[in-house]
Amino acid sequence: MSDWGWVAFAYVVVFGTLGTYTAWLMTRLRRERR
Amino acid sequence: MTNLRPTPLDLAAIGTLATALVAGLVVPPDAVQGDLQRIMYVHVPSAWLAYLAFVVTLVGSVAYLVTSRMKWDRIAASSAELGVVFTGLALATGMIWGKPVWGVWWTWDARLVLTAVMFFVYLGYLALRRSMPEPAVRARRSAVFGVLAVVQVPIVHFSVIWWRSLHQPPTVLRPDEPQIDPPLLFALLMSVAAFTVVYAALMRHRIALEAIQSELEDAPEAVAGAAVRPPRLGGADV
Amino acid sequence: MSFWRQTAALVRAQTRSETRTGEVLLVVLPFGAAALFVIPMAVGADSALLQRVGPGLFWMVVLLFGIVVTQRRTAHPSGARSDLLRMLAVDPAARFTATAVVNWALLIAFEIVVGLVMIVLYDPVLTGWAWLVLVVPLSAAGLALVGTLAGSIADGAGVRTTLVPLLVLPVAIPLLLAAAQATEGLRLGTGILRWVLLLAITDLVLAIAGVLTARPLEESDS
Repeated sequence: MSDWGWVAFAYVVVFGTLGTYTAWLMTRLRRERR
Repeated sequence: MTNLRPTPLDLAAIGTLATALVAGLVVPPDAVQGDLQRIMYVHVPSAWLAYLAFVVTLVGSVAYLVTSRMKWDRIAASSAELGVVFTGLALATGMIWGKPVWGVWWTWDARLVLTAVMFFVYLGYLALRRSMPEPAVRARRSAVFGVLAVVQVPIVHFSVIWWRSLHQPPTVLRPDEPQIDPPLLFALLMSVAAFTVVYAALMRHRIALEAIQSELEDAPEAVAGAAVRPPRLGGADV
Repeated sequence: MSFWRQTAALVRAQTRSETRTGEVLLVVLPFGAAALFVIPMAVGADSALLQRVGPGLFWMVVLLFGIVVTQRRTAHPSGARSDLLRMLAVDPAARFTATAVVNWALLIAFEIVVGLVMIVLYDPVLTGWAWLVLVVPLSAAGLALVGTLAGSIADGAGVRTTLVPLLVLPVAIPLLLAAAQATEGLRLGTGILRWVLLLAITDLVLAIAGVLTARPLEESDS
């Protein structure tokens, strides 16, 4: 895999994880605030 | 507050993160590592936050033990959850960087080992909390574990470093080289700052979630009748 | 009743019940020995390999099964007995110390017996074995302290027995490293003083933590 391939892999993992966590957190907040 | 309009902190988080992302992608490649250096712009901040979140969990734990105010327990627990996320990311990005550079996913480098140990400590902390539904008991037990674990960390740190110093070759490529060109340093610092703001923003929301959940737990029973349970056959339940 | 007399009384009581149930000496210890026996079936019976890894595997078994030793039933009195101890105003620090002391004795016995099994099966090099007189009690003490502490932290949780190993392992890493590097150092003839020192310091930190947190932990019982 090219260097940029590895970079993309890392960035997808990081931003994907942060995004998913944020979405989960916001969903929980919205639900609990009812 | 039923509307979830982004707060200034949220906007700052998004803004700085976007800037850091662009900076990381736009700055010139490193002289030695080439484009792989860009992974450092997400790895170093993740590792930094992993340690910061750990310290915040410690502070929250100590403060709870001293004051018995639930606010500190919420801070400790929220920071631990974020800590797991960032530690996991630090490990993952470290491995993704390591594979093309060293040829292996994992080496027994002291810092990697320590980060992995921290990850397990966080997992233990969260598992402990999960196993105790009662807020006061949970707060006290996890605070004690939080303090114990963190007090052990310096000892773990030295023992791992001593261990690896017996076997580690003197020249090992370190992820954060001391010599770094100004534009790359800017991208790195920008990323660290951005991740910190993101941590702060997420902490605010996570603590709010904890607060709401404990309000629900403390909510008084509906009517007097709720205190009476029907008789049950067999052994008494606890 | 003073702290030390309370502790002594509790030690006697726990020793009596442990001798009666025999959970550690008749169940966990054979299990640990069996683990050492089974390992060469997994990694191959090459005697040179086994000679090298024997001591390390010994410490692994001590750590993992030692955790089980510290979670013996007699260390965690049931609700009624626990309430009784509390009503009698037994000093929580005395309870902690007594449990830790009994765990310590059991772990020393465990290490000695399992150690003999390892020596027989793996035929390790035994230079400087006299140092073990220090390493065995120190490592057993550390494990006893951390196991007792983790047991108190997780007390009451339904999943205590599965949770405690997870809590103990990261914290016990210095113990494992120090003990394993000490025996490795003996084999290679390099110094082991720093590892003995590390064991002693870790033990001290854990002992202080255990005594200081005994009351806060007991007060948080549901």
